[in-house]
Amino acid sequence: MTTGGAARDRPRVAVLAPQWGRSTERGSITRQVAGALACSTEVHVLTTEGNAARTVRDGVFTVHRLGTAVDDRAELRRDLVLTAVAASIPAGSRPGGHELDDLLDRQLVEPWAPAAAALDEIHPDLVVLADHRNVGGLAALERHDPGLPAVLLALAGDDISLAFPHFDPVVERAAHVLTVTETERLSVADGFDRQATVHRIGAPLAANASAYSEPNTWVGDTHYVLVLTDQDSEDDHPQNELARLIRLRFSDRPVGISHSDAFIAWHEGRRNSGWPIERSSDLARLLAFAAVTVDLRRPELYGRSVVESLLYGTPVVVPENSRAREHAQRGRGGLWFADPAELLWCVESLLDDATNRTVRTQGRAYAEAEYGSTDRFIERVTAACGLDVEAIPEVVRVGATA
Amino acid sequence: MGSPPIEPEELLERIRKEHRSLRWSPLAPDPAGTGGTGDQVRSPESLEYLHHNWMLPDHFEPSGRPGVRGKVSARLGTFVYAVLGPYLRAERDLLAHMVRVNDALEKRCDELTNRLEELRHQVADRQAAEARNQAELAVWLHQALPETDGHVDNGSSPTG
Repeated sequence: MTTGGAARDRPRVAVLAPQWGRSTERGSITRQVAGALACSTEVHVLTTEGNAARTVRDGVFTVHRLGTAVDDRAELRRDLVLTAVAASIPAGSRPGGHELDDLLDRQLVEPWAPAAAALDEIHPDLVVLADHRNVGGLAALERHDPGLPAVLLALAGDDISLAFPHFDPVVERAAHVLTVTETERLSVADGFDRQATVHRIGAPLAANASAYSEPNTWVGDTHYVLVLTDQDSEDDHPQNELARLIRLRFSDRPVGISHSDAFIAWHEGRRNSGWPIERSSDLARLLAFAAVTVDLRRPELYGRSVVESLLYGTPVVVPENSRAREHAQRGRGGLWFADPAELLWCVESLLDDATNRTVRTQGRAYAEAEYGSTDRFIERVTAACGLDVEAIPEVVRVGATA
Repeated sequence: MGSPPIEPEELLERIRKEHRSLRWSPLAPDPAGTGGTGDQVRSPESLEYLHHNWMLPDHFEPSGRPGVRGKVSARLGTFVYAVLGPYLRAERDLLAHMVRVNDALEKRCDELTNRLEELRHQVADRQAAEARNQAELAVWLHQALPETDGHVDNGSSPTG
């Protein structure tokens, strides 16, 4: 498999990652996949991030910063174009033609130009393209070696961009496609009619036992309803309207609402405001003691907070069109709603003691089986990339997390 | 797992069915008149006693017994009343005012009790009217809104 340089003890993998080191779901899962590969290979990460070209060590990774950072506005423009075009065509159909190619690629492909030369230096045995919209990364790969094996980490948070033929070459170039959830896997496998080469890898998450040691001071351990939003508390936004509906309907029990600017605890019409929930440990404490978690946000990729809630044994309620619905439906860890009335009915139903107990047990079992083991994640990623699982040294196996 | 498993789809379908027919109903008005029978709050015996005994004597009445002892007693009594007279008259006036104040308080208590009862009936009547009004609104909404089972199939749900 080695294509250049001296004989190697371990295969060399290059990860072409638009996002590296970011705490977003896409950024986290990219790093986790690279980490899983680093157990049995030598991982080089190529990213456009940074203001100057340089190579640095980042833990087990060698990171090649190309210093051609992509303007956030370019990504925003691409996403807006995708959303607008998708909204203008019938559901289930694919927009044809290549009129939009230039607009979709503007300022997103050129930053990847230096990656071809970097790949020439690295001589990887395998390339992992992160993000199915990574047209620039694909161009660099093709310039380096059109025959080099490639794997795609799809990062398809919704079905909109998958419907655009513009991104098809990225998916088609990859011998294997890695997806996080079953919903994402089906979207890619059905959309490209390739069932055998699209793999669900999940994500490595764990419930932190220390979260149970100290409940949040505003809501305590009162079996409150936890509502997660990504809006400011004073914003005129549907998420806030739904949160208001919940705290009015369930005014007889504490309701904690996490806004981007504050955490507000309501009980019997009284309001207590606290600092916004920014640290993951604070969110974990809230998830651990809640009776039900209502996540009104649109998950970027798979709904990390929803899975964490299930790991802490707290049932979830999510919007019907959320990617996190999979965890409620397939994981049997909660319910989903289509309108405000259903939202209230779902919460009411899950607050019933017997229902809550059963759903809590089911959801936790699902989350632990599919997301709770780092070992299984490493094995799934290694196998899906066509690498030798036996090559994973015993020293990295940390055992299943409880 | 002790309890049988719950399938979210089935639970959701059951919830939707349960709520498909209108379960809302107006709150029943609180029962009026509890603890208020309209009786006046008073203690008749004590008030009657006050009215009969508030007036203390303002002069000495000799017993009319003959002899030295009767005369001494009459002179001594007349002397004592002459000395203590102003104080006893002031005390009688004080008692008279206290009895009048008690009468006024009793009257005010009765008025307030009556007013409270009247308010309770007004609140109950208003509750009943609001409930009727809410019920009419609910019926109107039920007829005005299109029937829906709330189920939307987005066709992208996982089946695994």
